[in-house]
Amino acid sequence: MINSKDLCPKDLGRRSDEQLIKLELDQLMPLLAPYDKPGMESQLTDPKPAWKEKYCTTLDGYVGVGTLVRPKTKEEEDEFVRKFLVGLEKIFSDANNGVLQPLMLTYDYCAKCDTCSSACHVYEATGDNEMYRPIFRSEVLRKIMKKYFTTSGKLLGSFVGADIDVNWETIARLGELSYRCNLCRRCAQTCPLGLDNSLLAKEIRKIFSQEMGIAPTPIHAKGTLNQLKTGSSTGLTKAAFLDTLEFLEEDTEERFGIKLKFPVDKKGADILLIHNAGEFIAWPENPVAFAILMNAAGLNWTLSSEILGYDSVNYGLWYDDPMAKKLAVGQMQVAKDLGVNRMVMGECGHAHKAAAVVADRMNLADGKIPVESCFPMFWDIVKNKRVKFDPSKNNFPVTLHDPCNVVRQMGIVQPQRNVVKALCPQFREMAPHGTENYCCGGGSGFAIMNDANFPEFRTQIASRVKFNQILGAFKDEIADPSIVKYICAPCSNCKGAMRGILEHYDATEKFNLQYSGLVELMVNAMVDLKVPFFEFLEEK
Amino acid sequence: MLLSLIAYLSIFLFIGISVYKAYRFATMPMHGRMDLYPIPKEEGFEHGGSFYEESEWWKKPHKVSHVREITEMLKEIVFIKKLFENQRPLWWISYALHLGIYFLMCWTILLVIGVFSIPNGVAVENLNVWGSLIYYLTVLTGICGLALATLGSGALFLRRVFDNTLKKHTTPQEYFNLLLIFAALVTGIMTWGTDLSFGTAREVTGSLVTFSDFTATTLQTLNIILVGIMLIYIPISKMSHYVGKYFTFHKVLWDNDPNLKGSAISHEVKKASTFKPTTSWSAPHLKPPVAPGK
Repeated sequence: MINSKDLCPKDLGRRSDEQLIKLELDQLMPLLAPYDKPGMESQLTDPKPAWKEKYCTTLDGYVGVGTLVRPKTKEEEDEFVRKFLVGLEKIFSDANNGVLQPLMLTYDYCAKCDTCSSACHVYEATGDNEMYRPIFRSEVLRKIMKKYFTTSGKLLGSFVGADIDVNWETIARLGELSYRCNLCRRCAQTCPLGLDNSLLAKEIRKIFSQEMGIAPTPIHAKGTLNQLKTGSSTGLTKAAFLDTLEFLEEDTEERFGIKLKFPVDKKGADILLIHNAGEFIAWPENPVAFAILMNAAGLNWTLSSEILGYDSVNYGLWYDDPMAKKLAVGQMQVAKDLGVNRMVMGECGHAHKAAAVVADRMNLADGKIPVESCFPMFWDIVKNKRVKFDPSKNNFPVTLHDPCNVVRQMGIVQPQRNVVKALCPQFREMAPHGTENYCCGGGSGFAIMNDANFPEFRTQIASRVKFNQILGAFKDEIADPSIVKYICAPCSNCKGAMRGILEHYDATEKFNLQYSGLVELMVNAMVDLKVPFFEFLEEK
Repeated sequence: MLLSLIAYLSIFLFIGISVYKAYRFATMPMHGRMDLYPIPKEEGFEHGGSFYEESEWWKKPHKVSHVREITEMLKEIVFIKKLFENQRPLWWISYALHLGIYFLMCWTILLVIGVFSIPNGVAVENLNVWGSLIYYLTVLTGICGLALATLGSGALFLRRVFDNTLKKHTTPQEYFNLLLIFAALVTGIMTWGTDLSFGTAREVTGSLVTFSDFTATTLQTLNIILVGIMLIYIPISKMSHYVGKYFTFHKVLWDNDPNLKGSAISHEVKKASTFKPTTSWSAPHLKPPVAPGK
């Protein structure tokens, strides 16, 4: 094990199967009260011996990529390295045209001023551990590239930084390290040269997926491939989707006395609303709240039951460009076939960015259906009084989490704030917020990556800064469990991360910390709703 | 004559290679959008927002403020704003180097102007207003430029040597980059700093500009050669970030023009969609399906 202070990028090439670093609880960024007392947080665990034998645990002991298995023979190892190098060369070829210019800029120009480190929540959470410095993995990639593919590297070697040993361990560690970054791009905001280290992290992921066929199972096999096959990354088929809607309609009538009808496959509707299908499974109150609100506001909308039409998820965004394009183009086709005027994305951050920004240049403009966020629509409903609200129904402390994909990467900052400010008398911001927000720790797939011990990394490391932000926002009430404290996280993956945090720290049980989306708060404040929308507000 | 050639060649190559690099970046294939907010050109969304904050945004004009965009860029170019805001200790020395370079660029231009504006042997008191202005500006920019750039490059080098973090990420080539600049500057101070009115520098500049023969001292020769090497080396190294910076901001992070029917982007997208890559990815899930029996 190397002392993290002494760790250098070329150490990734150490042949030994020894774990390079081990995170210890006492080195991590301290949590705020009431989690600042001894015993409030569990110790970090060691990887199981079986995992060490099978996977790459030699980076930091965590296994993010369960499909990255150790070779059994020297030939397998050589083939693994060869494939990686082929893929590395390809990211600089016309096979990667869609990112070539930004990639070349970030690859070429990093001045290593290290300004990015202090912007990174993972680096900060680990107590400034060298391994998670944003330039660390970028530098490893540069070293390999120089060593194999540049004249200067071949002629001048270590003088230009081409000084890393490349073997299975090096490549596998780099693959794992690409999944220690949430791709939140906060570091890029601070770079004096406008460079983006998360782009290089994603390119590493792409080499693994697009060339080597290696990606975390929850994202690829159980995510993208499942979505293309069944219609949803959750495995929810069309029949099951329609059954779910029917059940939710009945349940809503039973609970709230509202005769709810989800419009489905309504040709020529104004709006095609697409949810992250995970909502139907994990947080069905979210699509229910959408339906109650949109029906009450008299909007002409529909859901789709077509394959790719009822799940806005696009995990390709994080690791595989061709997969991202396939999903985005398919989702657009559903909207075209329905003849809607616009696609409105439900509360899912990465789906927002995938459909509106990333896919923007994947589809030809002719016949393209415009994509918009649900947040401006929400604010229109409140601002134009299309529904009657009673803010006193939300009279408990509320803070707002800004999903990176929506805020930093789409510039949707104000509408959701306007809604919360209008409907929640005890709203308070996190610090920092808006475009300078911190990632929830679930970004870029972490929220669904549950292989081996990865949830521990997500919850205690990647989500650590966010948890402190939450504790800070509620510092005056946190200790009083009689007061509901609500984290408004209007994004499915962010909610997944919040669920992980609150469960791990037992924060709901101990301190009455609750989480959900924005539309639920809106529906809870509706005058026409006679009982609280939230179960935690129901009188026991 | 040889020194004149070196001077002209190095300036020509500096500009030529820089322009070529810019051309290469400018002609790279269109990339997907990578917006990163706040984007200063978004008019009406100065809080860091964008046109996506409005329902049916495509029906409304996308208001772009080039003034705000240019202002923000100027703050970055002139003051290195992001470094100032995010890493103040490094900003002091990095800014010293960059400001020094800006002064030295002005100084060089002023020396050339001075060749034609300040007659040889005329005392400063006897110069006309224009001549005096050039004279004093030359003195100011020369002293500030040499002092700040030398201090900055030297301090950046030392910081990389003694800062444990930066040290781990610095290659020998990156030390060399700073040392080359530092050496060119130190020899510059030794050569031209002995006459702070920069009369000698002006005389040598005159000879270089007019291709006149002159007897250069060893130091002068060394400095002119070092500056020449530096000028040729900068654009081929990553120190040419002055080229990249335009593209990273304007063409990547701030390029949020939506692909709407009839827009300039829509034509580019159409054109790009016809491109057939010569390389393809090999992962099993990306291989095209093969007909049964083949």
